[in-house]
This record gives sequence, structure tokens and C-alpha cells, in this order.
Amino acid sequence: MNEAQKILEDSVSRLFADSVDRDLLTRMENDPWNADLWQACVELGLPQVMVGEARDGMDGGWVEGFIVARACGHHAVPLPVVEQMLAGHLADRAGLALPGGVAGLLPAVIPAAAISGNTVSMTQRRVPWGRRADYFIGLTAQAELLLIGKDGSKCQAETNLAREPRDEVVLHASPILARGATDLPAEAVRWLGALLRSAQIAGAAAACLEMSVKYTSDREQFGRKLSQFQAIQHHLAEIAGQMASVDTMALAACVALEQRGLSAAGRDARFELAAAKCRASEAVEPLTRLSHQVHGAIGFTYEYDLQFLTRRLWSWRAEFGAHGEWGEYLGTIAQQEGGDGIWAYMTA
Amino acid sequence: MNLDTLRFPPYELPASLTPLRAEVREFLKQELGAYRPVVRSNTWDGTDAAFSRKLGARGWLGMTLPKEYGGHGRSALERYVVVEETLAAGAPVGYHWVADRQSGLMVARLGTEAQKKAIIPAITSGEACFAIGMSEPNSGSDLASVKSKAEKVADGWLLNGTKIWTSNAHNATHMIALFRTDFSPEAKHKGLSQFLIDMKTVRGITPRPIRDLTGRGHFNEVSFVDVLLPPDALLGREGDGWNQVTAELAYERSGPERYLSCFLLLSELIKVLEGKASPSALAKIGAELAWAASLRNMSLSVAGMLNEGKDPSLQASVVKDLGCHFEQRLPGLAQELVAMEPTLSDSGIDYQQVLGNLMLLAPSFSLRGGTLEILRGIIARGLGVR
Repeated sequence: MNEAQKILEDSVSRLFADSVDRDLLTRMENDPWNADLWQACVELGLPQVMVGEARDGMDGGWVEGFIVARACGHHAVPLPVVEQMLAGHLADRAGLALPGGVAGLLPAVIPAAAISGNTVSMTQRRVPWGRRADYFIGLTAQAELLLIGKDGSKCQAETNLAREPRDEVVLHASPILARGATDLPAEAVRWLGALLRSAQIAGAAAACLEMSVKYTSDREQFGRKLSQFQAIQHHLAEIAGQMASVDTMALAACVALEQRGLSAAGRDARFELAAAKCRASEAVEPLTRLSHQVHGAIGFTYEYDLQFLTRRLWSWRAEFGAHGEWGEYLGTIAQQEGGDGIWAYMTA
Repeated sequence: MNLDTLRFPPYELPASLTPLRAEVREFLKQELGAYRPVVRSNTWDGTDAAFSRKLGARGWLGMTLPKEYGGHGRSALERYVVVEETLAAGAPVGYHWVADRQSGLMVARLGTEAQKKAIIPAITSGEACFAIGMSEPNSGSDLASVKSKAEKVADGWLLNGTKIWTSNAHNATHMIALFRTDFSPEAKHKGLSQFLIDMKTVRGITPRPIRDLTGRGHFNEVSFVDVLLPPDALLGREGDGWNQVTAELAYERSGPERYLSCFLLLSELIKVLEGKASPSALAKIGAELAWAASLRNMSLSVAGMLNEGKDPSLQASVVKDLGCHFEQRLPGLAQELVAMEPTLSDSGIDYQQVLGNLMLLAPSFSLRGGTLEILRGIIARGLGVR
């Protein structure tokens, strides 16, 4: 990490450490918005991290995006910071600047049939914070980015296991406010969303590890600290290993994305992206199981902070595809390259 | 607890190494054509002195050792590429493995002028086969309890004792062995020293091969009876053996061999499933590929940290712990996905033989170079709970 990246990590971590606590997380389960925290994120420039200088962005790359997303995961930030950052990046790639306000990031590809003249009509499911969106951002089957107004849309509130909004948005002749071609695959929201969720999982995993180390170092049973029991130490070591593996692969995928891009042609970064989300989603099971195990019953209570992380991990595991799906993609590559070619493909 | 000690900074091999990788790959394609997959699946247990000399002739052994003593003075990353390619291809690297991985570095770092001049050219040419004398019958993971004695006598050192699980001692031209030089009860860690032994000239050392469960004998019990070593056989400083060995184990735990032992099985599994894998079988293969990719990035990161002079011993332990789980999972996964029995090399297709061989070898993966319990203890210490 270079100096600027360390400064970014420090400032983002400080903001979240100071502002996201049990009270806030608890309150936001019922009322999932906080204008002050959102404003603080905007002032820190987080939506603009992966936007070029030409559009007043920070001009950061995917490593910077990773740093922000990992910090969001670490602190269970209950706002669509990551989604806004991705929406801003996609708009930038399409030569557009996002208007002020909250972007609703549409997870599914917008098919040609949904577009009529200058309007869009379709249903999008599991839209993060769809209810708070001031406008929507999505990609068409031709990888054209659309900025869509709210007019004519309806929103049905739904949530994930962590009670983060994942709403059903019905667009009905909603106006296309701006559009721009991108050089991305049509499924880019899914690919890049998966990468950012991997970074969030890495962050939440690190927080689970820290919490587990602290709890077992404080709590005594049978006359000694829990962390002095070898069985507990091995659980902690396993959590650490899983965390490190997720973290390394997600960051490596960001580096690969910077170098190879996402073109949906040739040996781009899709292998690394798929490996990152596959690994991250698969790791959620041991990470959450062992973190809860070492905490005992207290970790299962609502009053204890671990559940804010683990409920997010269980949600993020499946969002933008779980390990089964990404594993199948990787397995298909293995079949295409063959047993004798897979090593050359991996190391290309 | 400091999370930074568990981070693996991204490390990309420089593009300038791509031609070297292609060159090694081409060489291996030519050389390994005659080796059956089951033989190649022995990877770094496979021993072939002639192959090691060929690798040496290409300049691919002792790559990082200093030029003035006959090494090649190349970077650790160039060596990394060669090691990675030889392991992925299943080349028989066992004869030179220990010498190239750690003994050469130990001699270059700690040896006397005479030791360096004698040893480094032999490592670089592929003629030297090193064994490591660490464990003893009553001293396995608990290395500080080593009892084998080295007494200072008029004309050198007199060694007596027994070493065990010493890989390749029956082929070895040299051994670096850990002996107790201070017998006072309070000495413990501080009373140990390392010796560089020329197996061909010294008398009184008897390796006795121990057959392992595969029926083959690659490790040994080695007895030392009144072995007289010259005074300059001491490696490094008297009494500093514990620190020297700890540093040596870091070389031993950090390389790509810690996740590549079973790569040939993954290749054969992909081949045997060609055209008939269900979506769920593909997903399982894919999840293991994701592990392989993540382990490779972790291993590269460790190589990068070593190259920058940092001490990634905690990260190296994490890679070895995760890597041996990955390797040990593959035979079971193969049985889940393909309805074929594992076989010995006398029957079955290549896939079955490779599976059979690695199934038998797999228990050793989490024992050699530090058991997984020891590694997890190291990780726990890194987390601040030990």
C-alpha cells in the first residue's frame, strides 16, 4: 500500500470507527438511513473514489475501491457507500457525472425489451437502498449505461438478513435522463458488485477475528483465559487463515482488474474476480461458525456486536452470486483449458 | 493484535520473468515426456540425480547464491518461477531440493570461506544432495529437547546420537545437522549448534531407511557413532543453532511447494471429468481452483516480502496451514466426483494411479516442515494469544 492509500484507509476507518456503533446499527435496522453519516461519507469523497479527475473524482483505482469497501465491511457500515462508489465509477466509464443524491444501483441487466424510446419499464429485485434512491443506474444488454429518473417507479421495501434494504423496484415508463456507452460487459454490475462484496467480506472477517481474539482474551473459564485453551487457539488460527485467504484474493483481483480490465474477451480479470467471490463466499461458513463458537452464547444475543457482522456475512455471501455459482464459472474454465492447460491459464 | 502481520501485500512477478517461465516450461516438456504421471505425482519426493544435473547445467539451481562462490546471483523471484514450474509439472526435484531451497542459503549466510567454496559450486551444478538432521526419536516437534551430542575434542568434534525422519539421508552427499554442544541442564535452546557434514568422507554415520506407508523408503533413521568431524565443520556460531534453525524453517515454510504437491491430481481430475462434469462437480472443482489462486497469491506475496528483506514467518505459516488442507482435501474430492478406485502403479489409468499415490502420501503433507498443530500455535502467537 502506498502512502496515499494508507491515508485513505486511515481516514475512512477513523470516520467509521467514530460514527458506526451499536446504537446506530440498532436504530438503522428499523429506519435504514442516517443523513449525517451519509453526508460525512460524501464529504470524505467516498462516492467519488473511482471517478476520474475530469469529473472531480479522486481518480483512484480498484485498490482504492477495495480499501473503502473493506473498511465498510469491517465496520458493518449500514449505508450504500459501496454501491454509490460503483455507480459513480460506472457513470464515469460512460462519460457521465452522477447527479447529487443517492444512486439506486440496478443489479440486473436491462434487456432491450424493457426500453421503449426514452423510457424504461421493468422490475428489478434486491436493489440496495432502492427506497432511498434519487435516480437509478443500470447497464443494458449492449453495456450502455442508463441514468434513469424515479418518475413512474414504485418501490416495495424488502431487506436482507442484516435488515439492509434490498428493495423491489418497479420502473414504469421511467425516463432515461442520460446514457453513455461503456467498454464493459453487460454483466459488469454483477462482476464488479461481486468483487466489492468480496472486499466487504474480507473486512467483516477481519472484524470477526479481532472481536474473537479480544473476547477470548478477556473471558475466563476454568480459572484461565479462553484464549489459553489450545482448542480455542486453533479456532482463532483458522479464522485468521480464512480471513487472510479472502483478503489476499480480493485484493489480488483488484490488482488484476487494474492490469487486465474487464472486457469479457480473452484472458481479462474475470478468473481472478470469480476466484475472489468464490473464495469469499465459501469462507463465510467457517468464519461465522467459528466466530460464534468461540463467543459462546453471548455472541448469539442481539446485544452483542458480533451479529451485526455475521448477519451481513450471510447476506453478502449470496449477493452478486455465491460460491456455487462462481465455482461453476471457474470449473467451466477448467474444462475449457483442460487439465494440461489450467496451470498456464492461472499463471498467464 | 495487529492485522498487518496477517496481510499479504499483492505481489506481481515482474513481466521480465515471462521469458524465463516459457524457457523452463519448454525444457520440462522435453525432459518429462518419458515420466508417467504417477511418477511425476511424487513431485519433491521424486529423486533423479541426472535430472538435477540437467537443471544445474541450465543455471536453474543455486540461482540466488553469490556469484563469487559459483552461484548465479539471480533474484529470489527468478528462482520462484523455476520452482513453481518444476512443481506444477511434477519434475523429480528431490535430489537437489533441500540444497537448493535452504542449505545453500544457510552456507552462504553462515559458512566459512572454505565451506562456501566447497559447497556452493556443488549445489549449483546439481551434484549436492542435502539432508537435514533435526528430529530425533524422542524429539520431534519439540526440537529444543535435542539430545544428540557434539563434544569438542582435540582434533575437532565428536558426534554421537540418532536422528530420525531424515529425508534422503541414504542419497545425501551432505547433511546439516543440529547437535547439542552444551549439556548443562539450563542450556536448553542455547546449547545447540549446527554442523555441516560431508557424508562421503566422514565415518560412523549409518542411515537406515524407514519404509513409509507407501512401501518406499525416502526417510531414514541415522545413527552417529563416534563420528569425528574436523574443527571447521561447525556451521555458524557455537550455541546459536536454535536461532539458525528457526531462520532455516522460514525458508522451508514459505515456498509454492506448500500448495502444489497435489496439483497433478487436480489436472488429472479435470481431464477425467472432461465433457461429463455436472454443474455441481464443476462448482467443486472451481472452488478448489479459487483456493489454488488464492494460495498462489499468498505464496507470491511471501516471496515478495522475502525479496524485500522482510520477515514473513507468520504469513508463511498461514500459507502452509491452508496449503496442506487444500492438498489433503483433493483426494477425497476426487473420490466424491469420479466413480473410480485409486490404484497403485500396476493397474488403472493415469488418473487412478495419481490419485492412489497422492492419497497415500497426503498424511505427510501436514507433518513435514512443521505439523499443522505447530503452525497453528505460531499463528496463535501472532494473534497475541500465546
